[in-house]
Amino acid sequence: MKNMTGKERIANYMYFVVRIATLLSVVMVFFPAFNPGKISGLINKNMSLFTTAIAYDSLVENCVRAFDKGWVSETSFIILFVSCMLLVIGIVGAVAMACMSLGNNKFKKFGNWFGFAGALLQIGGLVGIYVAYTQMAATDRPEKVEPAFATAIWMAYMVLAAIILILLIAIQILLPKVEKSEKFEMLSKYKLFLMFMPFAALTFVFSYLPLYGWRYAFYDYKAGGTLSADNFVGFKWFTMLFESEATRGDIVRVLRNTLAMSGLGIGTSWCAMAFAIFLNEIKSVRVKRFVQTFTTIPNFISWVLVYAIAFSIFSTDGFISNLLVNAGVWESGVNMLMGDDHIWLKMLAWGMWKGIGWSAIIYIAGISGIDQQLYEAATVDGAGRFQKMWHITVPGLTPTYMVLLLMSVAGILSNGMDQYLVFANPTNTHVIEVLDLYVYKLGIEGGSIPLSTMVGMVKSVVSVVLLFGANTISKVVRGESIV
Amino acid sequence: MAKTAQEKLDAKAEKEYYKKHKRAYKLTPGDIVFNILNYTFFIVFTLCCLFPFYYLFINTISSNDLVQKGLINFVPRGINFDNYISLLKADEVGQAFLISFGRTLLGTALMVAASAFVGYVVTKQEMWHRKFWYRFLVITMYFNAGTIPWFLNMSMLGLTNNFMAYIIPGIVAPYNIILVKTYIESIPGELEESAFIDGAGYWKIFREIILPLCKPILATIAIFGAVGHWNSFTDSLILMQGAPELHTLQHKLYTYLNTSSNLSALMNPGASASALEGMMQSALNAKVIKYTISMVSIIPILMVYPFMQRYFEKGIMLGAVKG
Repeated sequence: MKNMTGKERIANYMYFVVRIATLLSVVMVFFPAFNPGKISGLINKNMSLFTTAIAYDSLVENCVRAFDKGWVSETSFIILFVSCMLLVIGIVGAVAMACMSLGNNKFKKFGNWFGFAGALLQIGGLVGIYVAYTQMAATDRPEKVEPAFATAIWMAYMVLAAIILILLIAIQILLPKVEKSEKFEMLSKYKLFLMFMPFAALTFVFSYLPLYGWRYAFYDYKAGGTLSADNFVGFKWFTMLFESEATRGDIVRVLRNTLAMSGLGIGTSWCAMAFAIFLNEIKSVRVKRFVQTFTTIPNFISWVLVYAIAFSIFSTDGFISNLLVNAGVWESGVNMLMGDDHIWLKMLAWGMWKGIGWSAIIYIAGISGIDQQLYEAATVDGAGRFQKMWHITVPGLTPTYMVLLLMSVAGILSNGMDQYLVFANPTNTHVIEVLDLYVYKLGIEGGSIPLSTMVGMVKSVVSVVLLFGANTISKVVRGESIV
Repeated sequence: MAKTAQEKLDAKAEKEYYKKHKRAYKLTPGDIVFNILNYTFFIVFTLCCLFPFYYLFINTISSNDLVQKGLINFVPRGINFDNYISLLKADEVGQAFLISFGRTLLGTALMVAASAFVGYVVTKQEMWHRKFWYRFLVITMYFNAGTIPWFLNMSMLGLTNNFMAYIIPGIVAPYNIILVKTYIESIPGELEESAFIDGAGYWKIFREIILPLCKPILATIAIFGAVGHWNSFTDSLILMQGAPELHTLQHKLYTYLNTSSNLSALMNPGASASALEGMMQSALNAKVIKYTISMVSIIPILMVYPFMQRYFEKGIMLGAVKG
């Protein structure tokens, strides 16, 4: 594109603006705060334009009574739904245009038609939303329907659509005529980028967008409510973590459980290495295979199934109770899953049962990578079995162990909630509740969204800091990074 | 496995060597004790890993009366498969099975396809700001907004009480993309270049050259992805609160386990004899039902397990090579 004419150059600058406008409208589509279709109090406040446009059922979920009583006609909602859909389709058209604008002139000119059509659809959709609003505003029960027109947002979409439309017309005029024989072409760097883009969008939506939810931690938010300047509370929830007696007590208890169980896990992480080393001492290949095959299976079943297994063995009418009752040792079955004694150790044991065979695999692979000549030399020097293990195998595996150890230290706060959720019951909840489980219970079951978001946020930040700390240590000590 | 001539020779030489140095290789008493302890430990531990599955299984195929009396501990008696048949006939469990199966199939297929494609695209140096976009992708493995923001985000996107919530978020899996990328980078570049000179585009090269060559790594991520989908349960628990018909099998199992533990907790000595008996009856039937659902959830894993084993080491060792 070195030999561009002046006109093409101007068109390119205009495209820059058009692309930004397109990107802005795409982003706005996914945020509930920028939903021009929220024209009535009957509509769920947490709906984005996107959901409004694709899920009619959730759009009208609160409207059954309103339709029955004739406060508002269902037609207005259908108009709204269709208009939103048009708006979204229009934005999709703009996206198609923006993608094609990365190609040659033929591509650009072709793509512009999508842009025109898209912009017109957007404007049509916006007009439709206004029509739906005027219909709703004409209701005789405004206090129930609560018609409300988001003028600023509506205008924003309108302006963006207008910018796109006007600039595209200008671009279409500026771009030189293309020959019929010219082919659709695009530089490979843009081609590759466009191939990648949908996945970048998915990543953005599912990994980056949740970070935007951290704002809930600074508001006094109740499920179904909205965020506004009125309920902004700043760092209230953060200080509450330390100042409120009850919350502080909870946090201390939960942190103690988390650190204790993670700590036990980290403290026993060498067991997997020992497992591998001792397994390696078994000379019979068949036995070795047998052990390796069947100790790995538990890793592939979920914690729910582990709990099902624990239940079948340790519950009131499980295996152990059956045996002891039939033998006359116990009078009746005992449910060994109830009660809070040694829960940390029990959880460690279950974690080992599930994971040790799997964790050992990486060490087994490591052992086969150790130079056999070292062992032979040691044998010649008269080293015994344990001396060889201690002086050759262990040092050989230490680098791997250190990496895994650092990773697990970085993840000390994130021991997941599955295991503890399934094993929790009213008798042991005070010693089994870890941070992740606490956040889940507080937020999803208890509905205190801001506080649980705050806890989760602090946890995430600490985890990232720990990870980078571990990484730095690894860089300094081993000269290699772990992430 | 057929031994090559060289291997045979080696084995022979080794045998002779042992014969010659028999004394040096004679086990000392210490060795014998160590071996006994070592073998015992590993065999006992392996049995601990294996027995629960066996125990569950024999309890589901034995006569329910004997199971109720707690007499089925080591050998199955009165073998029948009625429990499985009646369980799969029960709508609720059949539905949950279909949901789990569907998400495993669809979710894994899309994840593998996307990982292969993205893995290929990010190996291309000429991509616009490749480094930035690759980091944009990979860095998401190291941070996490937390459960609640994730939940709020999903509900904002309309992905609560919606089957697609199982599928769409899992399509882009950075770790698997890294695995595929590393694998593709190990393929000699000449293959691609010659196809490029012949006028093939990226898409054609990907489909006809890269994809067939990547089969081993794709099989690896497919199997791990499928197991992850089959086992996953928190997403069902958190996102599908309003749609019991979309609960996965694991979630259903969790619910049943909790219900029956409540049932047994209800059996306090204060209750009247007949009511107690009735409850006992249902609690014990619940036990067999629970065991059977557990087995139904475990069996698919055990079925793919032999195929998985081939890929263990590959998966783990590739994971060690990042970046």
